[in-house]
Amino acid sequence: MAFVSIRDLKVSFDGVQVLHGIGLDIGRGEAVGLVGESGCGKSVTWLAALSLLPAKARISGSVRIDGQELIGAPGPEIEKVRGARIAMIFQDPSSSLNPVQRVGKQIMESLRLHRGLKGAMARTEAIRLMNMVGIPSAETRVDLYPHEFSGGQCQRIMIAMALAGQPDLLIADEPTTALDATIQAQILDLLSTIRRETGMAMVFISHDLGAVSAVCDRAAVMYAGKIVESNEITALFAAPRHPYTVGLLDAIPELDVTRARLQPIKGTVPDPKYLPTGCAFAPRCTHATDFCTTDQPELKRQPDSGLLACFHPAGRYKTETLTRREELV
Amino acid sequence: MTPILEARGLVQQYATGRSLFGKPPSMRAVDGVDLAVREGEILGIVGESGSGKSTLGRMLLGLETPFAGEVRWRGQPMPAPRTDMWRRLRAQMQLIFQDPLAALDRRMTIAAQIAEPLEIHGLMKGAEAAERVAELMARVGLRPDQADRYPHELSGGQRQRVVISRALAMRPKFLVCDEPVSALDVSIQAQVVNLLRDLQEQEGLTMVFISHDLKVVHNICNRVAVMYLGRVVEEGPSGEVFGDPRHPYTRALVSSIPKAGRGLTDRIILQGEPPNPAMRPPGCAFHPRCAIADAACAGEIPELSGHRGRLTACLKQRAIIPATAA
Amino acid sequence: MLNFILSRMARAVMTLVMVMSFAFIVMRLSGDPATILLGPDAPQDAIDAFRARWGLDDPLWKQYLAYIAQIFTFDFGISMRDQMPALDIVLERIPATLAITLPAMILKLGIGIPAGVYAALHRESIADRGVITLSIFGFTIPSFVLALVLVLIFSVQLGWLPSGGQDSWQHAILPIVTLSVGGIGIMARFSRSAMIEVLGQPYIRTAMAKGLSWRDVVWKHALPNASVPIVTLVGFMVGALIAGAAVVESIFSWPGVGRLIVSSVANRDLAVVQCLLLVIASSMVAANLLVDIAYGLLDPRLRSKRSAH
Ligand SMILES: Nc1ncnc2c1ncn2[C@@H]1O[C@H](COP(=O)(O)OP(=O)(O)OP(=O)(O)O)[C@@H](O)[C@H]1O
Ligand SMILES: Nc1ncnc2c1ncn2[C@@H]1O[C@H](COP(=O)(O)OP(=O)(O)OP(=O)(O)O)[C@@H](O)[C@H]1O
Ligand SMILES: [Mg+2]
Ligand SMILES: [Mg+2]
Repeated sequence: MAFVSIRDLKVSFDGVQVLHGIGLDIGRGEAVGLVGESGCGKSVTWLAALSLLPAKARISGSVRIDGQELIGAPGPEIEKVRGARIAMIFQDPSSSLNPVQRVGKQIMESLRLHRGLKGAMARTEAIRLMNMVGIPSAETRVDLYPHEFSGGQCQRIMIAMALAGQPDLLIADEPTTALDATIQAQILDLLSTIRRETGMAMVFISHDLGAVSAVCDRAAVMYAGKIVESNEITALFAAPRHPYTVGLLDAIPELDVTRARLQPIKGTVPDPKYLPTGCAFAPRCTHATDFCTTDQPELKRQPDSGLLACFHPAGRYKTETLTRREELV
Repeated sequence: MTPILEARGLVQQYATGRSLFGKPPSMRAVDGVDLAVREGEILGIVGESGSGKSTLGRMLLGLETPFAGEVRWRGQPMPAPRTDMWRRLRAQMQLIFQDPLAALDRRMTIAAQIAEPLEIHGLMKGAEAAERVAELMARVGLRPDQADRYPHELSGGQRQRVVISRALAMRPKFLVCDEPVSALDVSIQAQVVNLLRDLQEQEGLTMVFISHDLKVVHNICNRVAVMYLGRVVEEGPSGEVFGDPRHPYTRALVSSIPKAGRGLTDRIILQGEPPNPAMRPPGCAFHPRCAIADAACAGEIPELSGHRGRLTACLKQRAIIPATAA
Repeated sequence: MLNFILSRMARAVMTLVMVMSFAFIVMRLSGDPATILLGPDAPQDAIDAFRARWGLDDPLWKQYLAYIAQIFTFDFGISMRDQMPALDIVLERIPATLAITLPAMILKLGIGIPAGVYAALHRESIADRGVITLSIFGFTIPSFVLALVLVLIFSVQLGWLPSGGQDSWQHAILPIVTLSVGGIGIMARFSRSAMIEVLGQPYIRTAMAKGLSWRDVVWKHALPNASVPIVTLVGFMVGALIAGAAVVESIFSWPGVGRLIVSSVANRDLAVVQCLLLVIASSMVAANLLVDIAYGLLDPRLRSKRSAH
């Protein structure tokens, strides 16, 4: 059985539904990418799982870790899961750290909580963690406050804090957006190493499909509060089926010499309050037919591999585009 | 042609650690940067996290007083902060910030925040302002129904678009974009990048574009400057710098760009300690991690100067065989 | 940090000098003390003698310099009415005032802050609504009305507590209650909104995601952040410890500083009024200074401005 399994997770704010039944399994030690446009519910999925949403959020469905139900579980039980079993790295690094507490202290708090480390031991370990995520001269900087670090350094401190509890599952919400390519590569390396050594599972939420393909075994693509496609990483990138996935891949800038205009997916993400009746992507989809605007496709297992929710999937990727992609990679 | 903005010998230093009495130790976040931004171009600044990019950006805008050196706007020194001249100039120069949540006021609706600069400068009121706000929101891909939302009710990418549209409200001449698209998904990122390029082409907007996403920098920027430990180590047209990186750090950087569909292969992994501005290595700051460094590199700080038609700060330039070596 | 404190202290002294200069101008321009003290019908030679005695014939600038010099030597001269050193008269009254304002202050903080924080933590509960309603009631009711109501109930109707005077601790109860009700309301309202603001911040979510118990999240992360704005308000209240009880003291015939203000102003007793002003201004400035220092201690962002220069 899957280590963490999400079933039919639904979330609404003030009567507006933003998650429409998410189903996702994470195996032990597995790394799963979660991609999709901004606002499609990637963060909310995991905030809901850990009961970190504001009180006005209405949550239904089920999130189980080793069979233990988290949705609706009493506070103390969820507190035992947070940080120790499932740790989370948040999106806005500089505002996610307590501005009036020294960063070392914030890391040591996790160490005390989950590993019983105190005093000098905790401090040494905090310094080790900060060094590990690439904060230069951590010994002299443990006692600084968050505003004295750069954006990328704050993000790495968040990562150190999450790793401090030696979690079984790490939810990394855009963990490398503020990092430059070399440090990003270093952090991705670090996360891979830790996974190899400790068997930590990871959910990697990112807009950066490159980073996702670098560290994940599998990825799920979300659109408007639903998973629309999921597959092994190589298959997903080599042969995307959902037109939305294809659009995402086409929007990535390329490193060739011409400054070609980028190709965004036309239109915008629909307002969760006024979702189209059929497939939520239909209004932006080049493949859509009348049928797509009236009926909602279900997420179905595909004959070769993966899951897909689309009536008119893209065929094999067109050769011409494929060669272009090959160049890119 | 005189550059629209010019930085000469910019230095910024910060206190590190603390001491109750006396002078706390300090380190240089930016250590002598010369930079010229030409009218109508987009200049990219890339480099290691903590290398002083944001600090440099803040100094270019006059938001922070440099410790040494000066910034010139159209050949004139920057007016003193908080004078009338300064305020007028500031309206033409806008900053788009790394962390959108920190840049927004959580108690104001986003429409009110976008309208704020218009009202502060007394440009527009009422219906006219509302119309302009709607236009700005549409321009960055925000839906009209989101006008009455509060920042925490938006997703990360939506927030960044609010910040961008607010910066555009004053029709600025010069923008410093500090990681403007790193919180955006690829599709919106493509829209915003196209939008910034349109602004450059149609309205002649000049920009300094700070980003870690080298693919985006490559796409949007005419020229790019690579920073390492507070100094510019390579500068040139972006196609050339990315196509044929010369400085060993730039080579490592370009090689670590993650590519869709392929794992972390073929990249130059930098060895050694990450750079620390408080303990700058003697000589070339990169030499402890550099594969081609020798004794001379530890002895002399290389100047940014022309080698074979390009600007690099590396003593080994002459020794490197062009192109393909990486 | 030391620099920070020194610069704030220099500013405090400047503020005091300005306040006192302003006081001087207003007092000298608003009427002749001789006529007020001796009465409008006093014979001219008595008035002249009085003016000579108190140096009122000197040019204004001379009077001003003498006055500033006096202040810096803590010599405020002799009360024109009681013929006692003004400073003594003022200092004598301070303990009585503190005897009611300090306990009131403790009540304001001790009840107001916990009530506000509790309300913020249980938002939209019955307790929260209760706190909001009571605090609005608390800070809208004028203190003289409240005082009269309390006297009516506890002195006149029930006969439990005395309605005026200063003979035993029971005499202090009604003044203390009257003084604290408004402050408790303001404090509760303010702490509530400060706390709600902080609880919505992303770092609170981070603290929760770490696995901290809700208690620890509140005590270790929310309260330290919420204390920054709360301290401002506490500063205002500390500043009012000495001068803020005039109305209540008058109603309950409590012989404190407040009543001295009323009587000495009415009598144009220059020396006493000046001395009072300085004492009051000093207490406010000192409170401000403490607030600034507390800010520096509570919020590192305000402390470590760029200081390498
Ligand atoms: N506290 C909230 N109140 C109301 N709506 C919210 C709240 N938090 C999120 N939402 C809405 O829920 C939807 C999903 O948001 P979420 O933050 O999960 O997006 P995301 O996929 O993580 O996007 P991004 O990549 O930009 O971070 C969005 O439409 C957002 O506006
Ligand atoms: N207010 C400050 N006080 C002390 N040190 C600071 C302050 N601001 C920045 N620094 C330090 O200065 C250096 C440069 O910071 P800066 O924010 O300019 O880096 P950056 O290149 O923008 O990094 P990133 O890509 O991570 O955002 C960092 O080492 C940082 O820790
Ligand atoms: Mg998100
Ligand atoms: Mg930065």
